[in-house]
Parts: sequence; C-alpha cells; structure tokens
Amino acid sequence: MTANWDPTFLGLFLLLFAAVTAFATLLPPGDHRWWRLALLLAILAASGLVVGEGWTRSLLIEAAGFVAVALVWSEGTPVAARAARRFLLLLIVSAVCLAAGLLLVGTGRNQPPVVHDLLAVGLIAVGFGLKLALVPFYFWLPGVATASKPMTTLLIVGVVDVAAFLELAHLRVTHAWVIADWQGLWLALALCSMLGGALLALAQQDVKRMLAFSTIDDMGYLLVGVVAGPGIGLSGALLGALSHATMKTLLFGAVAIAEGREGHAITLNTRGLAASYPVGAAAFIMGALGMIGVPPTFGFLGRWRLYLAGVEQGGVPLLLGMVLATSLAVLYYARTIHRVWLGHSARLESVREPRLAAAVLLALMALVLLLGLFPGWLAGRLS
Amino acid sequence: MDTLAALPLVALLVGALLELLLGRLLSPIAKGWVAFGSGLTALAGALSLVPSIAAGGAAEGILYPWDRGVPLRFHLDGLSLVFVLMATGIGTAILLYCIHYMAGEREGTTRFYALMLTFMAGLVTLVCSADLLLAYFSWEVIGLCSYFLVGFWYQDPAASDGARKVLVMTHLPGYALLAAILVLHDRTGTFLWTDPAIRQAFTGGLFFLMLVAAMAKSVIFPLHTWIPEAMNAPTPVSALLHSACYVKAGVYLVARMYSLAAWPNAWNAAVVALGCVTMLVGALYALIQVDLKRLLAFSTISQLGYILTGLGLGTGLGIAAGVFYCVAHGLFKGTLFLCAGVVQHATGTRDLRRLGGLAALLPNTTRVWLVASAAIIGVPLTNGFVAKWLLFTAALDAGQMLVVLIAWLVSIFSSFYILKATVSVFCGELPASLRDRHIQEAAPSMQVGMGILAVLCVLFGIAPQLLVDWVVAPAVRSLGFVWAGQVSWLGVPMGPVGSYGAAGAITALVALLAGPGVYGLMRRPQVEPVGLFTGGDPLPLSDSKLDAGDFAGTVEDVFRPAYRIADPDPIYLAAWGRLKALADGLDRVVTPLVEGYPLWATLAGGVVALVLMWVL
Repeated sequence: MTANWDPTFLGLFLLLFAAVTAFATLLPPGDHRWWRLALLLAILAASGLVVGEGWTRSLLIEAAGFVAVALVWSEGTPVAARAARRFLLLLIVSAVCLAAGLLLVGTGRNQPPVVHDLLAVGLIAVGFGLKLALVPFYFWLPGVATASKPMTTLLIVGVVDVAAFLELAHLRVTHAWVIADWQGLWLALALCSMLGGALLALAQQDVKRMLAFSTIDDMGYLLVGVVAGPGIGLSGALLGALSHATMKTLLFGAVAIAEGREGHAITLNTRGLAASYPVGAAAFIMGALGMIGVPPTFGFLGRWRLYLAGVEQGGVPLLLGMVLATSLAVLYYARTIHRVWLGHSARLESVREPRLAAAVLLALMALVLLLGLFPGWLAGRLS
Repeated sequence: MDTLAALPLVALLVGALLELLLGRLLSPIAKGWVAFGSGLTALAGALSLVPSIAAGGAAEGILYPWDRGVPLRFHLDGLSLVFVLMATGIGTAILLYCIHYMAGEREGTTRFYALMLTFMAGLVTLVCSADLLLAYFSWEVIGLCSYFLVGFWYQDPAASDGARKVLVMTHLPGYALLAAILVLHDRTGTFLWTDPAIRQAFTGGLFFLMLVAAMAKSVIFPLHTWIPEAMNAPTPVSALLHSACYVKAGVYLVARMYSLAAWPNAWNAAVVALGCVTMLVGALYALIQVDLKRLLAFSTISQLGYILTGLGLGTGLGIAAGVFYCVAHGLFKGTLFLCAGVVQHATGTRDLRRLGGLAALLPNTTRVWLVASAAIIGVPLTNGFVAKWLLFTAALDAGQMLVVLIAWLVSIFSSFYILKATVSVFCGELPASLRDRHIQEAAPSMQVGMGILAVLCVLFGIAPQLLVDWVVAPAVRSLGFVWAGQVSWLGVPMGPVGSYGAAGAITALVALLAGPGVYGLMRRPQVEPVGLFTGGDPLPLSDSKLDAGDFAGTVEDVFRPAYRIADPDPIYLAAWGRLKALADGLDRVVTPLVEGYPLWATLAGGVVALVLMWVL
C-alpha cells in the first residue's frame, strides 16, 4: 500500500532529477560513472516510492543510500574517499539499528513499557538519527557536503535524506506508539538538531558545509511535525520536506553555478557573486528565504503548521525554541547572502551564467512563489 | 461594496504582473506609466469605498481560498480604509514621481516597479485581512519588498548592508507577531480576529509580543536603528517606506489591537511611554545629522513617536489624533523625501555641508519643501498643525501634562532640525563645488507628484474636517470608541473637549497672521552680512560662516550623555559578538569529537537517548 503522499514525493523526485540533469549537463560533476550512479540512485529512490509500504521499500531506499556512497567516492579525491567511508559507516550502523529496532517493534508492545520497548525505540531513534543527520548523529553530512560536488550533495539531502524522512513518517502512521509514547526523546532530538544545527551553521566558512548544517537544522523542525502526528503536524512535516528538497535545489544549484564558473569552493571570503551570477544570487536568496519559512515562499506553508504543532506539543517553550532556531537561521543565511552574493565585486572580466541552468533556477523560483501563493491543491493532497 | 473592496488589491497585483510580463518590451518610462495607472485604479477603488465606510459599514468577503482551511478573507472597516487610502493615494503620487526619476536607470526597473506595486498591495492586504495568519503573511511580504527595494543597488556595499539590517531587525521581531497569532489559535481554534473568542484569549503576553513586532516595523525605540541605514535606496523607495507602506504597518497593528481586547491602563501607559521616548530620541538624533535623508529618517522616528503616543492615550480623541497624525505624516514626509530626491538628483549629494543656495535654481521644489516643512513643524494652515493640536488637546484631556511638555519640547527640536535642513539646502549661496554643475528643476511629472502631496498638506490644514469626518472618525468608531469631538476649519477642535484647545489654536492663528502684518508695517531691512551673536562680542564676519556640521557638533556636545544612552546598536553588536563566539566555540569543541570519532559519538548519543527515555 502506498501512502497518499507518495505520488506527490515521486513528482518531487522527478522534478529534482530533471533539475540535477540540467545542471550536470552544463556543469559536469563527474565522468560517466557519476551519471550511471546518479541514474541508478534516481531509479531506486523512485521505485521505493512506487512499491508501497514494506521491507521492499526500505531495501530500495537503503540501496539508494549505498549508491549515494559510491557517488561521493566517485569524486576521486582523498577527502571524498574519507567522507564516503564515514557515509558508508553511517549506512551500515543505521541499517543494523533500524532493522533490529523494527524487528523488536514487530514483536509487539508492552504496557507498561519494558526493556524490550526501550531498546526497540532507542535503536530506531539512533537509526533515524543517523540517517537524518540529527544532532548528535550528524557526523557524516558536513564532510560529505564539503567533499562532494553540489549536485551530489543535492541528491543526498534532497532524495536520500527526504526518502529516509518519509520512512519515519510512515512509521508514525503504522506504529504510532514508537513516537507518540516517547515524545520527550524525539522532541529533545528535534530541539538539539534545530538549535545545534543552526549554531554550528553560524560558525561555518564554507557555504556547502553551512548548507549541510542548515539541513540538520531543518530536520529538527520536520521531526516536531512527525511527533505531533496526523493532522497539522504531519502535514506540516510533509510540506516541510517537500519545501526542503525544493529549496535545497535552488541553494545548491546557485552554488553549483558559482563553483563551476569560479573553479573553487565558495566560502564567506568570496565576494559580490551577484554581479556575475544574478539569477544564481536570486535563487540563493529565494532558497534561503524558503528554508527560513518566509512568506510568500512555499517554505511558509510547512513552517506555520510546524510552529502550530510545536505550540500544541510543547507549548510556548517549544515554540520559543523553534523561533530561536529560526532566528539563528536568519542570521546565518543573511550573512552568507550579503557577504558572498551581494555587495561589491572586484571581478574585472565578465562571466555569464549558463542559460539552461539559469532557466531551471528561474522556473523553480516561479514554482516556489506559485506554491506559496496558491497552496490549496498541494496542502489538500498532503493533509 | 464587497466586490469593490477587492479592487485596490487586484489593481495593484495586476499592475505588478504586467510589469513582470511586459518588462522586456517596455521602456522604463512606459513601465512607470503602467505602475502609475495601476496605482490610480487602486486609488479610485479605495475612494469609491469612502461613503459606505463613513456611514458605518464594513466590507467582508473571501477573495480566494489560500491555504487549506485558511481563505483570504477580508474585512475592510474604517481603520483599514485609512491605510488603504494612504497606500494607494500617497503611493500613486510617488509612482508618478518615479516615472522620470527612474527613467535613467539602465537595469532593474521591472524589478523596481513590480516590487513597489507589491509593496503597496502588501499593505492593502495586511490592513484588510480578517485572518491573522494572512495578516502575518502580508506583514512579511512588505518586509521582503522593503528589503529588496532598499538593496535595489545591490552592488553598492552601503545599500546591501542597509538591506541586511532592515531584514534582520524587522524580520526577527516579526516572529513575535507569528508566535502571538499561533498561541491565539491554540487557545481559540481560529485565526480570525473578528471572532469574539479572540477577545477572551488576548492577554498581556500576547499584547507584548505584538507590540514588539509593531515597534520594529514602526521604528519605535529601541528597535529603530535600521531606518537610517536604509537611506541608500532610490528616494521614491524611502518616501514610500517612510510615508505610507512600511512604518505605518506597525501603527496599524497597534491600533488594531484595540479591536482584539479592551486595554487595561498599563498597556496604555506602556505605549505612551514608548511613544514619548521615541519622539525625543528621534528628534535628538535628527538634530545632529548632516545627511539630508538621514535627518529625515530620524525625523520619521520622532514623528512615529507622536503617532504612537496619540494611539496610546486610549481615548477617542487620542485615537483620532493618532490616526490624523498618521495620515498627515504620510503626506508631509512623503513630500519632504521627494524633494530630497530632487536635490540629490540635481546636485549628486545629500550632504548638507556641501549644499546651499538651491532656492534660485529649484524654485518649485523649494516651495513644495517649505509647505511640507511648515507642516512637520506644525505651522497653522497645514495638516501638521491640526495633527499636533489634536494630539495636545487629547493629552490635556487625558490629564497627561508630561506628554504635552515632551511633545512641545520635541516640536521645538523639530523646528530646529527642519530649519537647519532648509537653510543648508535652499538658502545662502551655491557652494563652489556645485557652480560648474548643470542644476535644473525636476521634471514636470516629478513636480506634480510631490506638488499633489503638498497641496493635500494645505488642504487638510485648512479644511481638516474633510479628512476627519470621512476617514478619521469612521476609523475611531471601527475600534469601538465613541468620539464626540468635532474639528472645524483650520483644525480648531469644537465641543466641550476642545474648548481650551480651540482657544489656544485661535491664539496661534492670530499670532501667525499678525507676523506678516507687523513685518509689512516695518521698514524692509537691508540684506547684509552680520556677525554672529555669541552672548558677548560678535564673532568676526570671517569666522561666522557656520554650517550644518557646526550646528550638529554643538548639539552633540550639549546632549552627549543622552546620545550615549539612546543608541542601542552597541548592545546589538555585543549580542551578535557573543552569539558568534558561542557558535565558534561549539564548533571547535563538538566538531572534532563528533566528526573525529563517529562510532564513539554514535554510541554516546545512543546511551544518552536511552537515559532520556528512562528519565522521561
């Protein structure tokens, strides 16, 4: 059985693959191996959504993760190899934890809870913590983001990460007690990820690494929605996941254009890129605003539901925690926008943006605004 | 009427869409005319609503189903109409001015006009939204528009930095508004402020949260420091930001809170105190500015203090004073900014020390400036006088003598800084640095744009009852206040409440009229340079050519302790520094542990999770 949100996410994945293909054609992130692996990852992730709930789906999504490891490895640098090894370690440990946890959950539940339940929920929390790169299990993601090309990282955070999140959302529906009965644990993980991710993002110089921490930050919000469960919380989390993947496409797409043309990693010491890449700059700004959840971007749709879920679950203290984390996100994104993209450019020669890549970013920006202004249809599908 | 209520919003949005669709086909001037046409249509729609709203009606309806369960439901009452008229009226005059002001821009005019129209549409949606979530949505839309417009010349570091400050300092407090809305929803299950359940659930904490958001938007102390940094935007943007669309959003929110709950005295006292401090701080800083637009920016802070004070008094007359002042400020401040734009356009500078003698070269701009200056100072026959007089009367009526004294003191400061600007820019001789420059009067459409606003300053100064009866009084009534007071010609308050105010107003008017009479009877003085009176011997003529910088320096010396206390920016900078240090420290400690020992980190995380489960 497929969940009612699977077709929507399948559409998202196809859109994301189309964008990645357009970017990768113009700014090749690797050789033919990269293309083959990216295609395999796309097929596995999409199949996972098509086959419906069950072990087959989990295996397909797990396999997509392993292909992502190969993608990172295909960069061919020692740093990438090290990051890939960690990524592989994560996948193995998380697969073991999740498999064991789900097996224990499958054997039933005790009232009152006993060690069996504690172990089952603990293993699942660690498994998903690793997959979603929640604090303190995030060790693999910043390294992968720094070592990989932007398109590789986009496939990981936009597809592999989001697919893993959908698994968690399924679990919230099929085995609600795993999350509903242990809300304190999951909310603590969510708050740690939000605040920890946001604070660590503020400390970064490398823009891709900063974006990796912003993913960790965002996963915390999505987790709040999952904890709140069906209704405003889960629909907020699903809308948030959709927006996360879309905004990350804009953000990494903009970075890909700049990196591809500049020939080096983009850091906070890079200045005035908007003069050369106006569409890239606009895409980065729009993506950042969407990640923060600023109206009228599509990001606001998930975010207001998640805040409301936060009020319902944890009252004003949780809401304040979420708002604090968002305020930190405003600070780190504003800093990046104004140091890297806007302001004076010292460049003398003129550089042009690849037209197709710019067109893809413009189309995505229009989509982000349209969905923000007319969200009824999409919100209805995910409610 | 309900269908007509949507016309202003639809006209502005269609205009923005046309700009985006036809941007590549149209010249900058044609884009300007399209924007002006949209604004004019929106204004016509707003004006058509005046009779029915003045009769006590309110337009309601659903414009379109926005999000699931949250339709774009509008409720246009007297208070909403004030702001819709300001956004479309003042906004349209500014758009007319833009046509030639922006004609020379080589790129970005499509972006500029689309954002200007969306900016106006954002305010219209905010004030007409019955749904608090959509009000927040619009709140942030106008925030983003101002961010992008302030950063219009994004390659200029000053513009980019100003935009960043606007974003951070206004967006972050905006979360206070969102938090209040969500808590209200959690308590009542509705986002509609028109729902009676909201009145039961609206508490002091929520009032505080909304007030914080309003303070940041309306440049109320200590959240005011972003606005002087936003002055590197095109001048029409500054005019719209200050007069109609941005700072007034916070004023609307404060006024609208009277619809959400009955205010206890403590809330009124807090708002009045904030208003008084803000008017004083803004005026003190305006005194020491030597940049024309920064001076006007600080004067906005001061004037917003007046408006907030009026609203905070919590009486019908106080609300009327606040609302009238709000409209008056929109008119005279919009005019002043547009004049400043002409000056900058003509001379290439805003530095008061490098300006002078422009009255001969820009005669029409000078006349318009003088009218608006008279209005901001509060000279009779202008709307500024009526606004101030209403406010003083309301404060006296409420027994707030301290408020009257502070407002009076700040009025004197206002006269000083506006006279300083007027003399520095328009009087004296043209500086040597400008003598080789071809300085010419603004284009006719620019003159008409600012001229219309100046004419309205005088019209509502001579016949304020036009504004009061049709716009201000319905706004006061829509907030649940009964306002018996009436305003007659020249702003003389009538009725029992305004009797002593009327006496004072008549005295002021007689004095004003007597001045020219006495001047005319005297022998016309011969114009010649004189030494500066120092309290003893006059300064030698060669040393007495003091400029705006000397004036600023003197004031700064006199009020030095006040300037140290009144600048909150060092506190914000210190907070940012601590936060950054915390983030860097966390990165230094945690990253090597988590990324260096991934298995151990995972194991430790798992153990902590188990312990948490055990404890929780």
